[in-house]
Amino acid sequence: MRASGSQEPKRRRRAADGASPRDDLEAQIGLVARGDGAAFDALFERLAPSVFGVVKSVIRDPAQSEEVTQEVMLEVWRTAAKFDPGRGSVTAWVVTMAHRRAVDRVRSVQKEAERERRIATEEVPFDEVTEAVESSLERERVRRCVNSLTDVQRESLILAYYRGYTYSQVASLLGVPIGTVKTRMRDALIRMRDCLGVAE
Amino acid sequence: MKITSRQTDAHTLVGAYAIDAITTRDRKRFERHLAGCEECAREIAGLREATAMLGAATAQPLPAGLKERVMAVAEVTRQQPPVEEQAARTGTWAALRGTFGIWLRSLGWPGRLTLAAGATAAAAVLAIAVVFGVTNGSMQQQLKQVRASDRQIAVVLTAQDASMMTRAVTGGGTVTIVMSNTRHALVFTAKGLRPLPASRGYELWLTGPAGTRPVGMLPAGSDGVTGPVVASGVSAGDHLALTDEPARGSARPTTPMMLYIAP
Repeated sequence: MRASGSQEPKRRRRAADGASPRDDLEAQIGLVARGDGAAFDALFERLAPSVFGVVKSVIRDPAQSEEVTQEVMLEVWRTAAKFDPGRGSVTAWVVTMAHRRAVDRVRSVQKEAERERRIATEEVPFDEVTEAVESSLERERVRRCVNSLTDVQRESLILAYYRGYTYSQVASLLGVPIGTVKTRMRDALIRMRDCLGVAE
Repeated sequence: MKITSRQTDAHTLVGAYAIDAITTRDRKRFERHLAGCEECAREIAGLREATAMLGAATAQPLPAGLKERVMAVAEVTRQQPPVEEQAARTGTWAALRGTFGIWLRSLGWPGRLTLAAGATAAAAVLAIAVVFGVTNGSMQQQLKQVRASDRQIAVVLTAQDASMMTRAVTGGGTVTIVMSNTRHALVFTAKGLRPLPASRGYELWLTGPAGTRPVGMLPAGSDGVTGPVVASGVSAGDHLALTDEPARGSARPTTPMMLYIAP
């Protein structure tokens, strides 16, 4: 599937210079699905640090983040055969699973209402998040693309993705109408996709 | 293309959905929309490649031991076949999986499992790894047997707040525990524990502020399945422990604890 035909050259470039060519991971997940422990080991090395990073950025608590990371990686092991390359890359599959689990964990642990109340007074930790992104790995490119967003786009994206807030929570944090936040989130992601050259 | 206003409305959630910035209710609503919107599915796939990079940008070194635990558990965890296995996952089990973590914390068990065994004890062979919310076919089968076997057990299993946890024992099987906070009780089963000589048996304990109490000996298992054993009177701060004891049981643990759910 192709969301945008113009992305193909960029993707090829990424595959050429990236440390984790997509085809490689697809081959690995295929082996994992057949119960290959060595392939799972290799896949783990490649993806678990990202899983842990994304989970920890949302959950914060290290012990809980560790638990969720374990859950996610075991889910990868268990459900490797369900991976469908037609629906995206292995990385996207795993990281999406990690993010959703992390978000579900914080939302179930803290009652939503409690969280809503807290949000009203919470100091927004943009710098912290941005710094985390800046200081870690390949990330220069991500940082550059994040910086190319408008303020509202960037803030919406960061609060939602790295903090696990819902769009309505983001709206109340930023003092922006809900409808605006919804559109800005989508715009931000489209710009990120095009900037990163990772379109399907 | 003709777009109705309802579609437009749901479609505005594409971005929020792709980064999980929606409530569970919105997510369900959007997924219904998604089922009939190929264009949305395509768009989301593309956006998720971008969000995956946002995630990958946070990659960081893993805590010590995490990989070993996952590998150990994977080794004893059955994989799903490529075809959908929906029948094996009833709503109840899905719910148990979902609520498990909260329950544990509410009991004051942060869910850390440590192996407290002396190097000399036979038990030390077992390295115990942690799994949260992982189920597989054999455990479900195990629990089905449990469900049928005893009314007291059924009370725990059918409690509103019942939640399940599974621990894998490297080189020595898995244990599955279903707990109910409101019933102050849990059901313990094990599978594939290392066989002990006839003169010995596995004894289960509750230990905490109320002291150390024997729960009982694990019955000799058939087909490698041990239990079920019900522990009642579980209170906050209690830990669950397993030791190797003389077959008639001991009043206090006499060997190092093999399984210990500790803060």
